[in-house]
Amino acid sequence: MHRSIQSKLGGMLAAGAFILLSATAPSARAQTNYNVSISLDYSGPFAAVMDSWYGGQQSVFDWWNETRGKTLGVKLNVKTYDMRYDASQVARTWPQLLADDKPIVFLGMGTPDLVSLMKRLPADKVPMIMGTAMVAPLWTANGWHFSFRPTYSQEFAGLFSYLQSRLPEKRALRIGTLSTQGIPGYVDQVAGVVKLAQTYPDRFVIANSQWVDNTPINVTSQVRDMLATKPDLVLVGTNTAQVVATVKALKELGAKVPVVTSSHNGLTEVAKAVPMADLEGSYSVFGFAPSVDPSVTAAQIFEKYNKTKGTWGLTAAQTSAQALLATAAIERAIATVGPTKLTGQAVYDALEGPAFGPEHFQGLLKSVQFTKEAPFPTTNLSVKALTVKDGKFVAVSNDWMPVPELAKW
Amino acid sequence: MLPSGIHFKNHAEELRLLRTGPQRIGFALLLLALAAFPFVANTYLIGLAITVAITVIAVAGLQVTVGMAGLLNLGQSAFVGVGAFTAAALYAHYDVPMLLAIPLAGLAAGAVSIVFSLPAIRIRGLYLALTTIAAQVVFPIVVLRLPTGWFGGSAGIGIDRVQAFGIALETPAAFYGVAVCVMIVMLLIGFNLQRSHVGLAFRAIRDNDIASSVLGVELGKYKIMAFFAGAVFAGVAGGLYAFYIRYVTTDQFTIWLSIWYLGMLIVGGLGGPLGAILGTFAVTVLQEAIHWGGNRAMGAMPQISGGIIFSVTNIVLGAAIITMLIREPHGLAHRWNVLKSAYRIWPYPRA
Repeated sequence: MHRSIQSKLGGMLAAGAFILLSATAPSARAQTNYNVSISLDYSGPFAAVMDSWYGGQQSVFDWWNETRGKTLGVKLNVKTYDMRYDASQVARTWPQLLADDKPIVFLGMGTPDLVSLMKRLPADKVPMIMGTAMVAPLWTANGWHFSFRPTYSQEFAGLFSYLQSRLPEKRALRIGTLSTQGIPGYVDQVAGVVKLAQTYPDRFVIANSQWVDNTPINVTSQVRDMLATKPDLVLVGTNTAQVVATVKALKELGAKVPVVTSSHNGLTEVAKAVPMADLEGSYSVFGFAPSVDPSVTAAQIFEKYNKTKGTWGLTAAQTSAQALLATAAIERAIATVGPTKLTGQAVYDALEGPAFGPEHFQGLLKSVQFTKEAPFPTTNLSVKALTVKDGKFVAVSNDWMPVPELAKW
Repeated sequence: MLPSGIHFKNHAEELRLLRTGPQRIGFALLLLALAAFPFVANTYLIGLAITVAITVIAVAGLQVTVGMAGLLNLGQSAFVGVGAFTAAALYAHYDVPMLLAIPLAGLAAGAVSIVFSLPAIRIRGLYLALTTIAAQVVFPIVVLRLPTGWFGGSAGIGIDRVQAFGIALETPAAFYGVAVCVMIVMLLIGFNLQRSHVGLAFRAIRDNDIASSVLGVELGKYKIMAFFAGAVFAGVAGGLYAFYIRYVTTDQFTIWLSIWYLGMLIVGGLGGPLGAILGTFAVTVLQEAIHWGGNRAMGAMPQISGGIIFSVTNIVLGAAIITMLIREPHGLAHRWNVLKSAYRIWPYPRA
């Protein structure tokens, strides 16, 4: 009898412990599913970089679903669309995408998405987040398209300011520009840099501007003319072909003048066509941290969650930042409306809210603050840059380089 | 070749575009199919049909200049761009109704084409093609340099809401109706132009411009008219495009688009508007098939990269053009006519 009472007590104690543990253990929270639609280019001009491009986005969304999403009770389903970098393709895909996915946010790829969707998004109530830098003509108010990067010209201005402050003598930085007429974005880049020189004439001067074909074979004569004006650097913000042609021309002429590029035509791409030695001292500048920056913890997310054939680099870093902005906005929207009532409007309101601090961006961005006046941040801007030193890609500076104030041009 | 038993009693009957009963029935069925299409197709296919309709108009215009008059034009995309910017500016800045803005866009493109057609009076062939390339090069530079209040400069022009007769054309099906109607009107113009005395003059110039001038055809006047007519088609296509995409910038109208138009015309046949229709349709189907098949192949075989698909699209178009030039130089339209005549005299063999 004594033994039976003992065993009964033991069983009751075990049951009680089990109940207690069950009550205190974190329960699996019911999740609400939402769709995030993404524009990609699997069969167009940028198809070759799509693995890294999408890898940056996919790894972030998978990481977020597994970590924060579970806690918040939200799961983001990613739907991708091959838009072929073609505005017509975007226009004819969008109605079905909207009807089928009802996305709470759309991740755009480039100009075709902007052109096709800018006028539709306010009525369709879906915010679009871009990962590319913007141009001044898109500096419009009350849009539903956003980019965490300012204009190309503002990004260049940040690097120019850094370099000018480090000139051995106190003088203006002499900037040579090489670009193409007839392509609005390219023309705008130069217009912005001209505005920079007009705004800060003691710090920057346009030494020379040369206009070349969009995909030139040789630009030696244009570069020769430019070198006569003694530029401190040559800005080529257009495409890889022009950067390659410029680097080859500089080598041919025996000139050691650094070339400044952006992210889409950056040094990592150019290095596939020219020897690293020819890129020594040249720069790529952009509004996010370079992939080689040791403070970028997004690389670890990519390493762990990437399912594509892509590799961690500039492209993946750019799109990771894009996806992190989307998740930051979604988190803020969840905090405002709750996990079961997310809509595109809620995400839009979240984007237009207070600044998103660096804690959201895994070292890729400093902070992002939108206002209704522009689809990109216009104040407290800073950039980072990549350069080639001793044959290797290194960050120009571990600190963010502030961008001088630049009014709309 | 007319079917057996068809005889015309008067000139009016002979002038008809649809000459036989089966042709009239077939055309009615085609119209019915076009009208029913939005009700059975998904929004992607409707969007594709809209794009095809716009492209058919542009290529039909190219057929007038290149096919009918024999004047090589590699700047058709620039005239499409002129039409697009004109339509967008009229609608966005001056509240001109859409259905008036589109024909005005056509006229504007036609007016611009006159400038680039003047060299056609003296030169021809590849040399003329170079002057039309000049249109392609000059177009974006001029638009970017004009005051931004005119065509938006580098910003381009956006269209907020598209409506016709107070009805918002917000859905693909609604816009499809407008696009197809405009396409039918422009194709009717094209078919009738071919049969008119102006079209006869064009064809005379194409066949032998010196002989035609000896016979009294004013070369300069008709060459300029050929460019004008072709550009009007392009301008109308551009206007429709602007209202469909709702934002126009200069980099949407490149020389590659002009080359695609020419390629479509070669595949379809330079002989008449039917060539424009068949060529546009065939090349579009080919493009979609490559993208569809390529994406499936990428999914099944990870070693295939998307860059290959992009390259294959251009290679296939080039191969299609070369194949047509070798095997069927008169295009798919000629093959259609051969099949039609074979059917009509069946079971007798063709001579």
